[in-house]
Amino acid sequence: MNARAADVDWRVNGTQVEEQYDDATQQREAATLGMWVFIATEVLFFGVLFASYTICRILYPQGFAVASRQTDMALGTAETAVLLISSCLIALGARAVKLDQNRLAAGLLAGTAALGLGFLVMHGFEYHKEYTEHLVPGVDFLQRGPQARAVELFFCLYYCITGFHSLHVAIGVSVILVLVVRVLRGSYGSQRYTTPELTALYWHLVDIVWIFVYPLIYLVGRAG
Amino acid sequence: MSTAATVSNARPRVTPVRRYLWVLAALLALLALSAGAALLKLGVFNTVIALGVSVAKTLLVMAVFMHESEARRLTRIAAALGFVWLAILIGLALTDFLTRVPVPPPW
Repeated sequence: MNARAADVDWRVNGTQVEEQYDDATQQREAATLGMWVFIATEVLFFGVLFASYTICRILYPQGFAVASRQTDMALGTAETAVLLISSCLIALGARAVKLDQNRLAAGLLAGTAALGLGFLVMHGFEYHKEYTEHLVPGVDFLQRGPQARAVELFFCLYYCITGFHSLHVAIGVSVILVLVVRVLRGSYGSQRYTTPELTALYWHLVDIVWIFVYPLIYLVGRAG
Repeated sequence: MSTAATVSNARPRVTPVRRYLWVLAALLALLALSAGAALLKLGVFNTVIALGVSVAKTLLVMAVFMHESEARRLTRIAAALGFVWLAILIGLALTDFLTRVPVPPPW
């Protein structure tokens, strides 16, 4: 059987099981475990940035409050809502793949990608606003007053954390768009859904990172 | 196992749509809670509520959206590992930064 025919055969008959696995379930569980290990490395990748943030905030509590008040809370809240909704959409999309509802799945995945793009556009506006307000350390930073250095530190961390997060969103959107095409081609279904499922896991991780970014960046020192 | 391709035709289990929608509603309600609480003057509880809500949201996403509530133990351990190491990293760092006392020179 040539490669092309083999590919069609999986689509019709079920999952291709590599020889090191006993059955499709074991293969799927191994893939899921691998994804979770990758997610653990991602948690630590962002964790280092959050640890730096924690230490800086303990050292300069007032400076971080002053800085956080200069971020756009309304936009940050909207971005959080968009990511939460997108997480639900991709979970429903992966579910639809499992039920062989390919058109529905493609629609839900396309919706997820659209929300991800919307998030990036909103973040673009945010960055632009901060640039016009001279809040970019090393490029254009004009803050005066006793808290200026702490504000500069906050914005360094802000750009590192949100920048790397946006990069993850962009990667996620690209992967999801590829998935949309492959779902429409019938590459996945009730017997072959590991890739959409693992992509959904990655997207949920991106969501979880933002769940912590939101209060730490946008909600400090808002009262009073 | 002699053949490369094995056919398994069992239907995969899926979570009901209703549960996903409830979780989304809860997540959005928690978002509103954290945004609202941030505008009130609660002192240290501003931070406690903000982080508590984030942890609650994360647990909801992991349990339902990421299917951890029905996952195998090994997967759950792997899922918890990243957070455990992160807690060690931040916890040990804080033992230093939270206990620093300025010691003036004796002269």
